[in-house]
Amino acid sequence: MSMDGPLSGLKVLDFTHVLAGPFATRILGDMGADVVKINSQTRAIGTQDATHPYYLMWNRNKRALAIDLTTDGGKEIAFELCLKADIVIDNFSVGVLDRWGIGYEKVRKINTDIIYVQMSGMGEGGPWSDFVTYAPTIHALSGLTISTGVPGREDIGLGFSYNDHQAGLHGAFAVLAALEGRRQHGKSQRIDISQFEIGCGFLGPALMDLSANGNTAGPSANDLPFDQACPHECYRCLSSTADANQSVSGEEWIAIACMNDEQWEKLTNLIGITDWAAIMKLDSVEARLQHKNEINEKIETWTSQGKAYTLMELCQNAGIPAGVVQNGADLMENDPQLKSSHFFSKLPDTHPDLGEQYLDRLPINFEKYELNDYRRVRVIGEDNEEVMKDWLDRGAEEVKTLEDNEILK
Amino acid sequence: MLEDLTIIDLTDERGIYGAKLLSDLGANVIRPEPRDGDPLRKRGPLRETKDPDLASLWYAFFASNRRFFSLSLEDENECQALRHQISRADIILRCDNHFTEPVIDIDTLIKENPNLILLDMSSFGKAGPWKDYLAPDLVAGALGGSAATTGDFDTPPLKGFGELNFMVSGAYLAIAALSALYDRGESGSGQSASISVHEAIASCLEHVFMFYWYADTLDRKEGKVLPRRGALHWSDAYDVMKTKKGSIMITPTPDFDNQLMWLIEEGVQEDLIDPKYLEPENLRMRVDRSMEILRKWALTKEAEPLFFEAQSRHAPYGWVLPLEELMQNPQLRARFWFREQSIEGQTVECPGAPFRLKREGEEIKLPLAAHVGPEEHKEQLLKEIGWDAK
Repeated sequence: MSMDGPLSGLKVLDFTHVLAGPFATRILGDMGADVVKINSQTRAIGTQDATHPYYLMWNRNKRALAIDLTTDGGKEIAFELCLKADIVIDNFSVGVLDRWGIGYEKVRKINTDIIYVQMSGMGEGGPWSDFVTYAPTIHALSGLTISTGVPGREDIGLGFSYNDHQAGLHGAFAVLAALEGRRQHGKSQRIDISQFEIGCGFLGPALMDLSANGNTAGPSANDLPFDQACPHECYRCLSSTADANQSVSGEEWIAIACMNDEQWEKLTNLIGITDWAAIMKLDSVEARLQHKNEINEKIETWTSQGKAYTLMELCQNAGIPAGVVQNGADLMENDPQLKSSHFFSKLPDTHPDLGEQYLDRLPINFEKYELNDYRRVRVIGEDNEEVMKDWLDRGAEEVKTLEDNEILK
Repeated sequence: MLEDLTIIDLTDERGIYGAKLLSDLGANVIRPEPRDGDPLRKRGPLRETKDPDLASLWYAFFASNRRFFSLSLEDENECQALRHQISRADIILRCDNHFTEPVIDIDTLIKENPNLILLDMSSFGKAGPWKDYLAPDLVAGALGGSAATTGDFDTPPLKGFGELNFMVSGAYLAIAALSALYDRGESGSGQSASISVHEAIASCLEHVFMFYWYADTLDRKEGKVLPRRGALHWSDAYDVMKTKKGSIMITPTPDFDNQLMWLIEEGVQEDLIDPKYLEPENLRMRVDRSMEILRKWALTKEAEPLFFEAQSRHAPYGWVLPLEELMQNPQLRARFWFREQSIEGQTVECPGAPFRLKREGEEIKLPLAAHVGPEEHKEQLLKEIGWDAK
């Protein structure tokens, strides 16, 4: 019942919630895997509420099966599904699936090449394994918050749940790696993913610098933390209306990054500061870094008189890396590149309760597959009958009885 | 785990993390380098050494577990050797404008070997008005949408530390490679696939498109675009707060009552016990008031003990850990996450994989080879294709 894609025929049993886990299974579903999302009326609160916009973002291309896992009947059905699955994936705290009687050790005795992926916050084992985490927790603990920002401040960090997305990407990657491992060895596998360790890994070079040299990297704003490039900054453009005490809405910014002397020379020509740059002897990056503030002032004098998209085009046509700081509306309305690749679309199938749904498509283009048959997010239990038939060969009448008995609920 | 796979790594910053993910799980990943030096071997941070090829810790991290093949495009024998390696490979990971493009016609090699999988990465895709635009990480993050939502009202939009944007595109590269590999196992033939860094970054922006598409449902005063505002989460319910010593990410979620009980214990609940805050329509008011009280309360605490107290109460607070603390972190140490990498005899602690893998209940050990120079593996690689290194 999955769409045609590189993962067609793959059966994924999805117990994930919030963002990290659902994003992993969304990627698998986008590539054609048959992802069965387990939810229930009792668990459908907060970000598990299938009517919440947040839920709509991460649960397309999945079929919805409602199981009340607090009931014995629900646990039995979940166990049967595990026996049919290629992949069982969850991002609960360690041990939840075991408590429901569907843990890896039990299932692998019967489903001998099953793959279990557990994406918990801290991973299994260790003194912090029971800690409760969300992406902002992981950002704080992993060094992502302290390193992203401006010197002297610890309260900036990343403005979105970067690590949740990355945990999802790593979760999908782990599933696929395990499938190759299964092809090579034909045995069951269990993958224990720590979202904390994923986050810490992004600080890799900084941690190695600390180990090898004793240097502690700090926030470097828009500078490169370990290398030299100048100019390398975001500059205010025309129509910037913000001041230090106001909202930043209405601003326009452009990022300009000269990664070598040649690009700097092109920029000086473009904005008409060649003579000044020559007098200041700014032909090396070391010299430019010494005069960074003056250079940034000169550039912002130029950018503040132009519209961001026009300036970007001028820079790029001259061979200078530059890009508008695009917000969500820009990406949706003003980005001709995303428009040309049909990155956004409206789903053809309208949701019975919520109306129209939208999507940003998977950013992978496969030669063999179009991958344009996206399916809307389902309401809880919407696919009970279909999934029970396809996975367990149960008839409609039996499903109705299970629903009436509040097992499929 | 992936030891039967041979991969040719023709990536730059945009895709090198994807090649790392695969090599760290045991794939045989060969990375050609230009004879006059891979520019990525100059990326900081650097270690002290007389050998400039082994100075870059950045490269030691991102090019881990690779075998390097140094070649000159002027040397037809070396180019031919690379073509042989490619013809024997399972997967090619390629970023556009790679230095081997003038001498390696991959399209022809694919025709000769239909099992080959080719992953093509470019900044903006192969077509479209921006296809030739230049986009280092700062520019890629600006155009891709991550910079607009990072920073504060009194700072410019900010890039994430290091290469966070390219680590997203790199992860997609690894996913695409293994998906095409799975398909090859089922269908019997390889294929090519392409990834745009721009799209990859835009696909990982959490609330950004949700605010635009579902603005009416969310009914936020900010409308369709939430401006950058420091660490304050889009839900308004998570923020980094100052304490007497250090900073901490505090949230009253997911259990507001649990948090309220704690504040009552400390006598700082102010008016939060007012029943009006329990009305569903007043949830936003409850969030805002809770955060206001928590900010004041945090100033009376120290980050470290507050974090442990919160976690003992199952509250998902996060201490803003300095990197020195991270190096000593008991959780990372207990899980043996740090690995020891040898570079010219020096032992450097480096991050391990974020996975623990078990097959049939037995832990799978992951490799960590010593980091070496561009010539180190050449003889061995030539032997493997039946060539005499001389």
